[in-house]
Amino acid sequence: MQTIKFMLRGVLYFSGGMLLLLGVWAAIAWLNRNPEATELADKYPLPTPLMTFDVLKEIFTQPFQDDPDVKGIGVKLWGSLLRVLVGFGLGSLVAVPLGLLLGSSRVLMNLVNPVVQILRPVSPLAWYPLGLAVFSATNHGGEGLLNPSSKAAIFMIFICSLWPTLINTAFGVASIPQDHKNVGRAFGFSLWKYLTRILLPYCLPHIITGLKLSIGVAWMVIVAGEMLSGGAGLGFFVWEEGFNAGKVTHIIVAIFIIGIVGFVLDKIFSLLQKAFSY
Amino acid sequence: MGSPGLRLALDPGNKNHPMKNQESVLIDSASDFHKVTAQPRTSIEVQNVTVSFPTPKGTFTAVKDINLTIRKGEIVSLIGHSGCGKSTLMGTISGMAQPTGGQVVANGKKVTGPGPDRGIVFQNYSLLPWLSVYRNIYEAVDSVMKDKTRAEKREHVEQNLKMVNLYAHKDKLPGQLSGGMKQRVAIARAFAINPSILLLDEPFGALDALTKSAMHVELLKLWNLDHREKTIVMVTHDIEEAIFLSDRVVVMSDGPAATIREIVDVPLERPRNKKEIVHHPAYMEIHDRLLSLLIDKYSIEDYKD
Ligand SMILES: Nc1ncnc2c1ncn2[C@@H]1O[C@H](COP(=O)(O)OP(=O)(O)OP(=O)(O)O)[C@@H](O)[C@H]1O
Ligand SMILES: [Mg+2]
Repeated sequence: MQTIKFMLRGVLYFSGGMLLLLGVWAAIAWLNRNPEATELADKYPLPTPLMTFDVLKEIFTQPFQDDPDVKGIGVKLWGSLLRVLVGFGLGSLVAVPLGLLLGSSRVLMNLVNPVVQILRPVSPLAWYPLGLAVFSATNHGGEGLLNPSSKAAIFMIFICSLWPTLINTAFGVASIPQDHKNVGRAFGFSLWKYLTRILLPYCLPHIITGLKLSIGVAWMVIVAGEMLSGGAGLGFFVWEEGFNAGKVTHIIVAIFIIGIVGFVLDKIFSLLQKAFSY
Repeated sequence: MGSPGLRLALDPGNKNHPMKNQESVLIDSASDFHKVTAQPRTSIEVQNVTVSFPTPKGTFTAVKDINLTIRKGEIVSLIGHSGCGKSTLMGTISGMAQPTGGQVVANGKKVTGPGPDRGIVFQNYSLLPWLSVYRNIYEAVDSVMKDKTRAEKREHVEQNLKMVNLYAHKDKLPGQLSGGMKQRVAIARAFAINPSILLLDEPFGALDALTKSAMHVELLKLWNLDHREKTIVMVTHDIEEAIFLSDRVVVMSDGPAATIREIVDVPLERPRNKKEIVHHPAYMEIHDRLLSLLIDKYSIEDYKD
């Protein structure tokens, strides 16, 4: 009963916030109108919520159309998501074990820390040309996800999703309380038992926090990356079908989709975080 | 566990021992007959132990030149003012900490680290918060009793849970327990690995008087079950508890560089009855002695301020 009430309140607040956003948006669109123009698109340089909604419906009539020259929005979204998940997955596969190692060894930490500190502030987009150059030179004629520009985008996501997970994991390991370690020592835990019963459970919340930050960055970066790479994904949709085609409504629709997907990804990791807080 | 071969042959606690039944009836704590003949070993020898900590303001010596010999099967309490170094001394016996000077010999071997022959109850319980009550104990048992089957280990854990009256709560996480319940889990965990030496750092401190009494009885029951073979060293702040349980009470002086101020013998016959024992003249004498040893200190401190 209490939870239903709680959820209902959440929904109410959410709807309220959305209404507020729509109101502000509509007001700006109206203030920004061009009264002399005859065409609707010219009259509102910033399209109104209603105009955008019409386009949204149109875009979503055939979301999964997958013809060689026409790709539905769902296909593009899936393409972006796939690149993010592959890059993020590979990044996490490296970042978690490496973070565990760095957290347990002061020597390794001191050795690797400067490298991390220098590479971390680099904008992920700077890695894209590097990836593209290398993957184009070694192109074996991959298709779809495996063509050089897609591989370069995955590489970029890989790099940028490395840092938050790496740093959080290492910090987690380094901060295991002495009390917990004492249990392992006092009762003679094997290395395996120590890893699976003490180290990993303690670090899991830290790791998940790192993963959550990582996927947030990855999702933010993919759109920009696809604007550079062109050809596929939501970023390409924004740039090609929105800006280049002069359709501001498309840009706004894309922004909403990007936002909602990012929100969902974040929520998933928040739920994981909750599940693993002791 | 010392040398298993010797134990098998001479240990009257062993089930195969032909004389076991006669002996265990005849022997009480006052008579060390079988211990003297069959197990002449001391259980713990603290030899010139000094523990210092490096601090920003220089070395801080917590305890200095401690010498203490504890016989096998003896129950000894450590008592002293907060911060005098009781936990520190216990740490050197358990092997969780290395003495800066001197050494500790437990079961005939120099202590260089923790071992399965010494079960520890930490002052702050030290339970793993992501494991259930059951799993907290099971992991310790699993790690120490490697040759038991899974079913045997489960049975063993459950038995120990029942002993501390927590069987109904076995699936709870430590975060869902009261302080006293956590303490009982820590006690069950130390008992479950069946060590020959039990090191208890204020094991009953967080318990209410009733539960405390029940746990005292459980502790003694366990000790009796094992034919009073287990050595128990216990830190406590409770004078009555110390007298009721112990053969000797070690009173420590205040730190820094704390030493043993006095060792008070408790020659009261076992089994002891909690209600009756307090009227025993010897009890009152010991109680007074301990009280004056501790209070004396307080009054000196008071005058200083
Ligand atoms: N790791 C450490 N570094 C520096 N000083 C320490 C350390 N551990 C303990 N001490 C000091 O050693 C002294 C003894 O501490 P200890 O924990 O053994 O006291 P205690 O007798 O167990 O007290 P209590 O009854 O409050 O548990 C204290 O003054 C404490 O500050
Ligand atoms: Mg202490």
